[in-house]
Amino acid sequence: MRVWYRNLDVTIIAAWLALVVVGLIAIYSTTHGPKAEFLLDSVRQNYDRQLLWVGISAVAATIVLLLPVRFYQNVAFPAYVLCLLLLIAALLFGAEINGAKSWLRFGGIGIQVSELAKVGTVLAVAQLLASRRAQKSPIRYGFLTVVLIMIPASIIIAQNDTGTALVFIALIPIMLFWSGFPFSTVVLIVSPAVAGYLALVYQPAAYVFAIIVAGGLLFQTRERYVAVLALLVTAGTAAITSLVLPRVLSSYQIDRITSFTNPEAEEFRYTVGFHLVQSKAAIGSGGLTGKGFMQGTQTQGDYIPEQSTDFVFSVIGEEFGFIGAMVVLAIFAYLLIRLAAAGVQMKHPFGVMAATGVAGIILVHLFVNVGMATGILPVIGIPLPFLSYGGSALLANTIMIAIVLNLYMRRDDLSIYGY
Amino acid sequence: MFEHKFRFRVFAALIGTVISVLALRLVWLQIVDSRAYSGESRSNALREVRALPARGVIYDRNGVLMVDNQLRYSVNITARYFDRERIPLLASLIGVPDSTVVERLDRARNWNSFRPSIAFTDLSLETVSRLEENRYQLPGVGYEISQRRRYLTEANAWHALGYVREITGRELDTMRQKGYRQGDLIGKAGLERTYEENLRGELGAEFKLVNKLGREFKSFRDGGADVDPVSGYDLHLTLDHRVQALAESLFVNKRGAAIALDPADGGIIALVSEPSVDPRLFSGSVPGSTWVAIQTAVEKPLFNRATMSGMPPGSTWKPFMSLVGLQKGIITANSRHQCRGRYVLGNRAFRDFNDTVHGSIDVADAIMHSCNSFFFDLMMKMDVDDFKYWATEFGFGQKLPVDIGEQQPGLIPDSSYYNRTYPGGWTAGYTINLGIGQGNMTVTPIQLARYAAAIANDGWLHPPHMVDRIVHPETGEEAEIQRDPSKRVPIDPRHFQTVREGMRRVVDFTSGRGAKLGGVTSGGKTGTAQAPGDAQDHSLFIMFAPVDDPKIAIAVLVENGGFGGTQAAPIAGLIAEQYLNGELSDWSKQRVNYVMTLESETQED
Repeated sequence: MRVWYRNLDVTIIAAWLALVVVGLIAIYSTTHGPKAEFLLDSVRQNYDRQLLWVGISAVAATIVLLLPVRFYQNVAFPAYVLCLLLLIAALLFGAEINGAKSWLRFGGIGIQVSELAKVGTVLAVAQLLASRRAQKSPIRYGFLTVVLIMIPASIIIAQNDTGTALVFIALIPIMLFWSGFPFSTVVLIVSPAVAGYLALVYQPAAYVFAIIVAGGLLFQTRERYVAVLALLVTAGTAAITSLVLPRVLSSYQIDRITSFTNPEAEEFRYTVGFHLVQSKAAIGSGGLTGKGFMQGTQTQGDYIPEQSTDFVFSVIGEEFGFIGAMVVLAIFAYLLIRLAAAGVQMKHPFGVMAATGVAGIILVHLFVNVGMATGILPVIGIPLPFLSYGGSALLANTIMIAIVLNLYMRRDDLSIYGY
Repeated sequence: MFEHKFRFRVFAALIGTVISVLALRLVWLQIVDSRAYSGESRSNALREVRALPARGVIYDRNGVLMVDNQLRYSVNITARYFDRERIPLLASLIGVPDSTVVERLDRARNWNSFRPSIAFTDLSLETVSRLEENRYQLPGVGYEISQRRRYLTEANAWHALGYVREITGRELDTMRQKGYRQGDLIGKAGLERTYEENLRGELGAEFKLVNKLGREFKSFRDGGADVDPVSGYDLHLTLDHRVQALAESLFVNKRGAAIALDPADGGIIALVSEPSVDPRLFSGSVPGSTWVAIQTAVEKPLFNRATMSGMPPGSTWKPFMSLVGLQKGIITANSRHQCRGRYVLGNRAFRDFNDTVHGSIDVADAIMHSCNSFFFDLMMKMDVDDFKYWATEFGFGQKLPVDIGEQQPGLIPDSSYYNRTYPGGWTAGYTINLGIGQGNMTVTPIQLARYAAAIANDGWLHPPHMVDRIVHPETGEEAEIQRDPSKRVPIDPRHFQTVREGMRRVVDFTSGRGAKLGGVTSGGKTGTAQAPGDAQDHSLFIMFAPVDDPKIAIAVLVENGGFGGTQAAPIAGLIAEQYLNGELSDWSKQRVNYVMTLESETQED
């Protein structure tokens, strides 16, 4: 007898649950450890609130799993538009938290709409790319994809939440690549971003990078105009970045980016570099086995700012050591591979793109967040999915996984024609 | 489907790469370089709080507590975490101007901006409580409880006890290895300095985890790494606080010194050098102006006259001359000298006091009458190198093996001294004055006191000492005290008997009557040391009592006090009475009032 949940991938649910539990443990340590006596009541309740959000997310995921696959294809664009409206509403009327104006209040609950917007955007892009006609120009779809992603990303930048916007932007190459664009096109689209970052850190490196990209593309495509275009775009971005960004970005943002290269420098060590120095000290001093639950000196000494949200990985690294950190990474690796594999096995463009988008978002979050906590990336304030304290992100990430689970479970319901 | 598989592999490779990069980074941070980061994390999260041991207390010879400790509250600042905007708040809570806080803050930063550095000391419990209430507004501010010295008796004994003071920056440079930190107290003079290592005890340590605001939130390893402090050793002194207090009071309006020894072992019963300093002044932090005033005062209160002040012994030297003359056979107890009131040497006449003619006298009478011509004659029959030999035997011309403070060796001349000083040649006229304790010689009060004790106990020279025992308050264990062996002056006890008889007569009948005690016989000898220039002579007196079984030997110096019998003798007598009887008779109490009216002639510098 075939039951509807026969194809439900319980291992993904197990991985989700494992990450959520580790996150709860880490949050518990920051709110109920020895440091608790110095905390405000509102902070001490973080653990309880996160527990509540886990419940809400589980309920939401169950609902998501019960809906038919067609629902998601149909709802993709309306959901996207709704997300845009919410983002604009947050920009206009929202509450400002940590400098970012991306919060809307519903009753007593604050929702970070930029997190929810990820769901709508992934669905919309998946739907767009799934409806691609072979005879139409791929450039047009590529352009539309960039537009679909850049609209919410721009609003989020306007909300002053560059980190979250970055996740959207990083989605572009992943989605494009997966949807069948030539490798060179993807490189062409991605390289300006890399050049821009390099220009901020060390200008010559940006121009060297531009030359390498152009040369590489010339070698691969044998078409001179592609190479020239690549050179113009990358070098141009580098030039514009180095000239314009310092005037546009506030000085603390520049500091954040440049301090990353040398956080120990005297002028950064106790300002913006403080996060990095302290987070590295916490993780490094955790050693192989860690200092033990609620025994982390840096964690309990409150040396790491944002330790239950963006720097939650430092808590794990310090209190549970290399072993604990590796367990978390392993669970993420399994979850990501399973999501990607699920996408492939669906064979339907919508399912493939949705799964890829979700895995891509989680991958970018993981890389940027852990990279930041361990000091290989600049401090960019985005949470670690499922572990960081924060209800909206947990809810959004859980819904996204649930959608993939649903599509995968009901993959036979998807049209074999793809659209 | 090939297409999808290829892209899946690329995506899986991307995931793999990301995870690998992060994992390698973790290997580097947590395995390879972990030790460096552990150091980093400890340097900011782990704080060693030194647990100060209780400084040893000081008892007098009767077990009366003289000096103990009082809690004192200090506020420390960890400069790194202190918020400069809170300067006015901190200043108002402590009650100092903002500029003081700024100055202390800078000092703390210069020392080490990550460690708490003591910024304010001697705060009241009330002030500290107020700070504690506001501590959430004052990141980087903490407080410490330490001790200050408390003086419980009327006796100052400042020169003997010394004092403790906050360690200076320069001392810190050398003492840091021993665990001293800024704001710590250290013995700076007297016993407090000599026995610093015994008194201080062993530092303990508590390891605390501190949060980024510098507040302790947990003990490290639940206190498993903590070390308890070990209290310092207590000093049990030979000092009698009541004798000391009386002796100090007798020096009102006078400059000088008094030392009382136990002839049996050299224990110092009282050691006075006046003017002195109130030790309570030093128990807290001393304002710079006070310190300068003390240092520059013309009366030189810091100068320990008892051990540092050198002057000719005057007639107090005559017992010494008698002893040497008797021992060398120049005179005997019964041999007589014809005193004509002067001693003529060549064309010079060396005179007796007031030209008194004593007639035919023996040595005991010569001491009693302080007959100069007797001792001029004796000196003429003695070689100056012999003189030096015997003076050295009695401990003169050298520093004594004593456990308190600095000393002057004094000066005892010999022939080579005269050869050096008078290259043109010298005659007996140069040395004859030595016979009556004048001329080119100096002695210190403590040397005189030991000499008096030696006369009293048939020639035993004991190392003068103030610390009798060093006892640990908890274990009762005693620390060993290094003390020089006692030695004896090789003079026949019979001769001491003769000299003591002469000295008894001094007190009973002549110049030492001011020292007379009710009910006990005592021996003494006055002396008048010539002071430089036109100043009034220094008044000296040595004494022992009782004559039959001496329990105390005393030397008293009153600077510019004139004749030895007027000022120094009554002081010595009262000290002896207080010590021997434990109290003063009513009559003696009136004597105290009288002695207090006597003054040193004002010195004009």
